[in-house]
Amino acid sequence: MQDLLYFSQQLINGLTIGSTYALIAIGYTMVYGIIGMINFAHGEIYMIGAYTALIAITGLASLGVAWLPVILIVALICAMLVSSSMGWAVERVAYRPVRGRHRLIPLISAIGMSIFLQNYVHLAQGSRNIGFPALIEGGFNFGSGDGFQMSLSYMQITIFITTLICMTALSLFIARSRTGRACRAVSQDLGMANLLGIDTNRIISATFVIGAALAAVAGLLLGMYYGSVDPLFGFIAGLKAFTAAVLGGIGSIPGAMLGGLILGVAESMTSGYLSGEYKDVISFSLLILILLFKPTGLLGKPEVEKI
Amino acid sequence: MRTSVKKLATAVSTSVALMAAGQAAAEIQIGIAGPMTGPVAQYGDMQFSGARMAIEQINANGGVMGEELVAVEYDDVCDPKQAVTVANSLVNDGVGFVVGHLCSSSTQPASDIYEDEGILMVTPASTSPEITERGYELVFRTIGLDSMQGPVAGNYIASQNPERVAIVHDKQQYGEGIATAVRDTLKDQGVEIAMFEGITAGDKDFSSLVTKLKQADVDYVYYGGYHPELGLILRQARQADLDAKFMGPEGVGNKDINTIAGEAAEGLLVTLPPAFDQKAENQELVKAFQDKGEDPSGPFVLTSYTAVQLIANGIEQAESTDPFEVAQALRSGTFQTPIGTVEYDEAGDMKSFEFVVYEWHSDGSKTPVN
Repeated sequence: MQDLLYFSQQLINGLTIGSTYALIAIGYTMVYGIIGMINFAHGEIYMIGAYTALIAITGLASLGVAWLPVILIVALICAMLVSSSMGWAVERVAYRPVRGRHRLIPLISAIGMSIFLQNYVHLAQGSRNIGFPALIEGGFNFGSGDGFQMSLSYMQITIFITTLICMTALSLFIARSRTGRACRAVSQDLGMANLLGIDTNRIISATFVIGAALAAVAGLLLGMYYGSVDPLFGFIAGLKAFTAAVLGGIGSIPGAMLGGLILGVAESMTSGYLSGEYKDVISFSLLILILLFKPTGLLGKPEVEKI
Repeated sequence: MRTSVKKLATAVSTSVALMAAGQAAAEIQIGIAGPMTGPVAQYGDMQFSGARMAIEQINANGGVMGEELVAVEYDDVCDPKQAVTVANSLVNDGVGFVVGHLCSSSTQPASDIYEDEGILMVTPASTSPEITERGYELVFRTIGLDSMQGPVAGNYIASQNPERVAIVHDKQQYGEGIATAVRDTLKDQGVEIAMFEGITAGDKDFSSLVTKLKQADVDYVYYGGYHPELGLILRQARQADLDAKFMGPEGVGNKDINTIAGEAAEGLLVTLPPAFDQKAENQELVKAFQDKGEDPSGPFVLTSYTAVQLIANGIEQAESTDPFEVAQALRSGTFQTPIGTVEYDEAGDMKSFEFVVYEWHSDGSKTPVN
C-alpha cells in the first residue's frame, strides 16, 4: 500500500510537470510542422509569459484586488497577450525576412533571438530569482496517519485541468476551424496552399501566436507551481519541451502531448527510484533510443527532409 | 571602409595611450572580482560593498605608502568559464592584487591564472578546501573552510539526536564539498544517513525529491548549495507537508531565500560566520556602511573589507607592491581586522575561523542557537 502510494505520488508529480512540458512543446511542434524550422526563442517566450503574469499579479495586489479568480484570469490574459505579441513580433523581425533561405539561417536567427530576449529580461528585471506568490494552496491527502501520505494539491489539479482544456481547444481548432484547416494545408504544402489563395503569411503568424499563447499559460502555471522565476528559466524548460516535441514526433500535435507526459513521468520516476542525479541522463537516453529505433519520434510521420 | 579603419586605429591608439597613462600614475590597482549579475549576485553585492568601503576609508586616511588604491571591478557571474576570462583581463589590465572570487568553482580556475601570472588573490567567500590545498604561494582567504563549517553543522545535527538524516547537494564544488564534510561528521557520530543525493543547480521542480524525503521519513535535511534551489525545496516541501528540519551552509543565508520560500523559510538552520557587525569594536565601521545606505550584516561584507585591508597592510609591511613580497608579509604577520586577529598558515588559510549556527526567520532576520 505504502509503495503504491509512493508510486502514485511520483506519477502525479511526473504528469504535472509533463503536462506543462507538453504545453510548451506545442509551440515547437506547430512551427516545425508548418515552416520546418525550430524556434529556439520559444523557451524565452514562455519565460516572458511567466514574468508578465507575475507583474500582473503584483500590480493587482497593489491595487487591492484580492479575489483569486479575477487575479488569475487577468494575469492569464496579460501573459497571453504579451507573449503572443512577442511571438508575432519575433516571427516578423527575425524569421520572415530569412524564410526560404538556407535552413541554417533561420536557425541561427532563432538562437540570436533567444539570446537577445534572455538578456533583455536580465536587464529589465534583474537576474535574481523573483518569488512568485502561492495563490492556490492546499490539496487532498491520501493514506494513513503515520505512514507515507500521498498529496494531490489544488495547484496540480489546476495544471491538469488547464492543460486538458488548452489541448482540447487546440485540437478542435486545428480540426474544425477554417484557420485550422488552412494550417493543415500550409503544413502539407506551403507553395500549393499559397497558389490556392491561402494567405500563408497570416497562417504562419497565427501559428506563432497560438504557440506563444500556450507557452504563456504554461508560464503562469509553472511560475505558481514552482514559486520563482529567473531569466534563465525559459532556457532549460525550452530544452526539455523541445526534447518532448522530438520524442513525440516533431510536427505532430498529439505527439507533443505524449512526448511531454512521457518525459515528465520518466524524470520523476528516475528521481524517485534511482537518484535525482540521473534524471537528465535517463530522459535524454530515452530520447536517443527512440530516435535510433524510430527516427521520426513516437507519432511523427516519416518525411523526406529533416534538419 | 578606409576611413573606418583609420578611425578604429585612432581609437585603439588612444585607448592604449590612456591605459599607459593610467599605469604611470601613482596608484595601486585592486581588482574586485565576483558576481555582479546572475543567480547569486546578492553575495556579490556584499563583496563589492565591503571592498569599496575599505578602499574608500584607506584612501581617506592617506592611502598605502602615499599611493591611492583604485578599485577595478569585474563580473564573473559565478561562472567558472567567465571567471577565467575575468582572470585573463585582470592580467591584461596589469592588476597586482585581487579581492575575489566569490564562488569556489570560480575561484579555483581563476587562481591558477593568478598564481602563474604573479597576482595576489584574497577570496572573501570561497570555502572549498581544495583552493588552498595546491601549495600556491599567492592564494589567501578571509573566510573559513568547508572542512570547518561541515563539522559545525554535522555536530549540531548529531546533538539533536535525529533518527534519520538526508543530505542533498547541488553537485557543485562548494555544495558537494560541504555536504560530504557534513556526512562524514554525522557518520563518525553514528547518525543514520538515509539519503545522500545530488540535484541539478538551476532546476525548478523538486517534487520528486520532496516525495522521496517524505517516503524516507527523515527528520533532518542538510542541503549543500545556494539559496535559489533550497528556497524552492523549502517551499515545495511545505506544500507537500514534509515535516523535517532543514539546514544549510552560509550560501543559503541571505534574504532572497525569503522571497522564494516565504513562510517556509521559518526555522531554517544556517551555519554562518559570526555576525561581525554585532561586535562592539566594529560599530564605527557599521555606522559608516549605514551612512552610505548599505547593509553591513551580510556574511561577506566585512570579510571583503578585511581582504582589502590585509592587502594594504601587507603592502605596507613589505614596503613593496610586489605580490610575492606582500604574500611573504601576510604569512609572517599578525593583523588586527574587523573579523578579528588574522594569522595565516603556509597554505594561505586563517589559523582560526569560527562558524556559528543560526536559526533563520521568515522576515529575513536570524538568531543564534548555540
